Formats: sequence, structure tokens, C-alpha cells
Amino acid sequence: MSTLHDIPLVEASVPASATFAEAARTLGESKLSGLAVLDGGRVVGLFTDEELLLGISPPYLNDLKHTAFLERELPSLRERAREVAGEPVTKHMRKPTTIELDGSSLHAAERFVHCDEGALPVVDDDDRFVGMLSRTVFAHTLLKRLSET
Amino acid sequence: MEVAVIVIFLGALVGIAFEWGHRTKIALLGAGAVVLIGALSEEQAIEAVDWSTLGLLVGMMIIVGLTERTGVFTYLALRVAQLSRGRTVRLIFLLAGVTGLLSAFLDNLTAILLVVPITLLLADLLKISPIPLVLVEVIASNIGGTATLIGDPPNIMIGTARPELSFLDFIVNLAPVAIFTLLVVTTGLALFYRRQLAIDPERAGEVDKLDAAADMREAPYVKRSLAVLLGTIVGFFLHAPLHIEPAVVALVGATVMLLVAADDVENALERVEWATIFFFIGLFVMVGGLEAQGVIDQVAEGFASVTGDSRALEALVILWGAALGSAVVDNIPFTAAMIPVVDTLQDDGFDDAAWWALALGACFGGNATIIAAAANVAASGVLERSGQPISFVRFLAVGLPVTLVSLVIATFYLLIFQL
Repeated sequence: MSTLHDIPLVEASVPASATFAEAARTLGESKLSGLAVLDGGRVVGLFTDEELLLGISPPYLNDLKHTAFLERELPSLRERAREVAGEPVTKHMRKPTTIELDGSSLHAAERFVHCDEGALPVVDDDDRFVGMLSRTVFAHTLLKRLSET
Repeated sequence: MEVAVIVIFLGALVGIAFEWGHRTKIALLGAGAVVLIGALSEEQAIEAVDWSTLGLLVGMMIIVGLTERTGVFTYLALRVAQLSRGRTVRLIFLLAGVTGLLSAFLDNLTAILLVVPITLLLADLLKISPIPLVLVEVIASNIGGTATLIGDPPNIMIGTARPELSFLDFIVNLAPVAIFTLLVVTTGLALFYRRQLAIDPERAGEVDKLDAAADMREAPYVKRSLAVLLGTIVGFFLHAPLHIEPAVVALVGATVMLLVAADDVENALERVEWATIFFFIGLFVMVGGLEAQGVIDQVAEGFASVTGDSRALEALVILWGAALGSAVVDNIPFTAAMIPVVDTLQDDGFDDAAWWALALGACFGGNATIIAAAANVAASGVLERSGQPISFVRFLAVGLPVTLVSLVIATFYLLIFQL
């Protein structure tokens, strides 16, 4: 049996109809760095703390190469946070990378090493969402298992 | 076969103009088709690629990419905004000036990618619309890039295709008309936009509070990077007397930059925009197919039959034709196709006026529509990502009159000083 079956997963997800504010609140409550956006039980996107930051920042932030010259807060930041709150989460999510529940632990490790996300959605054989797996929890659980055997 | 290569080339031009796919994919598809149908042998395809252009592009991408880390370009953009002291007309002139200058000595696409995001932030601070400022910058980048051999892709292709034309020749023959055109066009734009961009003095104070040099203080290898960039520019000025190609200057500069200002070569080489390099390769192979099948000769003959023996008419048809072609498609593929045509027209002897006409037409024509130059497409992409897209028609409403004024100036310049 794969290591993933015994690792605690977190039910951190929002429906595709959720707003940015709802996704941000759920993300905060989950204590994870990302959550799954679901449509009919399937993962259609990933909303991470990076999407949260980009969402509440000016939209040109990604194109700026330097920002140390800004010593004071931008007055428009507050307005931006208000504007984005009601927008659909689907406008802000990224394409999801998933881990299969029955996959090997090495496969999961490879996904985490090659992805930026600190938490990834785990899916079953039918591609349905099972829960979010935290990279930290996975790494420590794997180490503990390997030390025991 | 002849018809097939024409269909492939025109199909690629239309595909690029209408964004049927990424321009690199379309150019490579066209190049592959030209070779696969046998219009060009594999050996001819490799010979058709202008490796000097690619060398110059790769070298400058590395140099500019590593210098960009220093924050010096951000510093320049912020300082000119501070120097404007909240005066709209002064802000427009200074932003146009710095964009034009960066375009001339880096390249216009890089200049736009450096200046436009800072402009969005400045507009946010000043509570004004960024679109007029970005339009001014795009226009300034295309005009400023006209001034040098390295400023705009059409000039890079012309300069590497004709070794008789040195970096200094480009400056002597194109910089004066580019500077004059920039001044005239910027004056018009400043008059047009001054009310729309009225700046609240209180907001202007916010810009003064920015610490323009902060990023330079944090960046690694600032002095070394700037020294290599300046040394490379000096190298360009001296390439003709030293009998060194501009591509060699750029590649030597890039090598020195890698040696003295890059800890991680792999990371430094990521600055090379491989999509652009492969786009050029695809174009060169397609144009090679047109040449091999005699299409270029036929176009040149048709061209000569229109202009007759008149040198002035020839130059002016090249100027306006290049501008029209660039406006409708994209000035890079259009110039790639026009270079062998102008070359063929010059069988009787080298005439640099025709090349200046092509450079002015292709570069100034780049201002006509949003798809006419890579810098326009890049600026439009940044604006779209920032949630303030600019439509084709809105760009055209400003770009077309600017192009017409620029071409009238270029016409008089060619008639008075070159013909």
C-alpha cells in the first residue's frame, strides 16, 4: 500500500462558484499554502497563497522587476483588496498538479520537488478529490516511516 | 513549387498577424514546410539562416538581461518621473526621451518591457490613466530604435545583412532624423494628452518620495555590469575600424559579462529569449525558400519596373512600401523578405539610401498598428495583464497619424540629405 493512504489529508477546497474572498478565508483557516478548486468533485484549479498575494496586489506586480524603491505603501492597495473580494476564484486559480492516492511515495516526492506548491491535491482512481497533502506533513511522515522500517 | 512557397510565406504572415498561434510555432512550421516540399534543400536552409543576426541578438539578450538585474534602468525611469515635478508635458517628454534612448542602445522591445511596468506604477501613484503614457513610450521606442543598428530588429537584420553599413553609419544617417521625428511626434502627443493627464500636485509628491536608487544598492555586480554594457556600446562604435562584425562585439561583450558578472551561467543564459531566436530562424528559412524559387527576383523586377531608373522614386517606394507592409503584418518578417529584394535591386552598385529608406519605413511603420512591431505587442500584453487593455482601434487612432507624420519627415529627409 502507498504511504499516502496513511498520511493525514486536509479537506481544504472551495467550489468553482466561490469568490476570491471565500477562497482566501478558507485558505487562511486551512493553515495550508494552497487549496483545491472543485467542480463536481474534480479538481479544476489550485488557489495558493501566491494567487492570494497576486490578487490583492496591483495587477502589474508580476511585470515589475524591482520594487525596493517603494518605501511607503501604495494608496491603491486597499482599493484593490476591496475590488478583488467579489471576483470569482476561477479568475485567480492556477492549473492544478495532482497526486494519485495509489501512487508511490517517491512519485509524490518528485511532484513536490518539481512543483512550487507547498500543498497538492490528492485524487482517487476516478480523479475525484480526496484531500490536500501538505509538503511538510508528507516529508516528515515519509522520514518517520522510513526510519521505523 | 514557386506558388507553394508564396502560399506558405503569406500564410505565415497572416497567421502571425491574426495570432493563429505563437509566432515562433508559425515561423518554424512554415520553415519546415518549405524544406519538406523540397523548395529548399537542408544545406540551403542552414545557409539561409543569418547567423550574425542571431549572434547579435543572443549577445545583447545576455548583456541586457544581466544589466537589467542591477536596477539601473528602473532608476532612470524613476528619476525622469521625479524630474518632471508633476508637470504633464515634461513627464511625457522625459519618458519619451528615456524610452527612446534605451531603445537605441539596448533594443526597443527590452526598453518597453523595462519601462512600461514602472509607468503603470507611476500612473497608479499619480492617479492618471497609464494608457496615454504607454502609447507615448511605445511610439518613442519604435522611433528611438530606428537610430542605431541594434535598436530595432529590422535594423539588426539590415546591419548584419549588409556589412558595408557600420554602427556609426546607422547613427550618422538615422539618428538625426529619428531624434527630430521623436521631438515632433512627442510634441504632438504632449499637446494631445496634456489635459487628460493633468497631475494633482499632491500625488506628484508621492513620486518624489520614491527612493530611485534603492534597487541599485541591493543588486549584485552593478559597476561590472554597467562597465561591460558601456564597453560593448563603445565596441559597436569601433567595430568598423577594427574590422569586427557587430555580432562578434555583442558575443564578446556577453562572454565578458558571463565571466565577470554572472555566478550561475545556466541562470544567466535563461535571459536568452529562445522563442525569438527560433522565430528568426523560421523566417530566414522561409525567405530562403522564396529566394531559391526565384520569387524575390520577380518581386524585385516588378519593383524596378515601377520605379524605373529613378533613385529617388525607388527609395520612396521602399520607404512607404516598407511602412505599409510593416503596419499590416509585422516589421520583422516583412524586413526579412525585403532585404533580398533591396539587395537584388542593387545589382548595379551599392546605394545606402535604399537601405536607410527600408530601415526608416520598417521602424516607423512599426508605430502604425498594435501588431506592427514586437514592442507594441509586448506593451499591449503588459497593459492587458494589468487589467487596462488597449484596443486595436485605440492604438490605430494614435499610431496611424504618428506614422504618417514620421513618414513625411522621413520622405523630406531622404529627398534632401540622401538622394
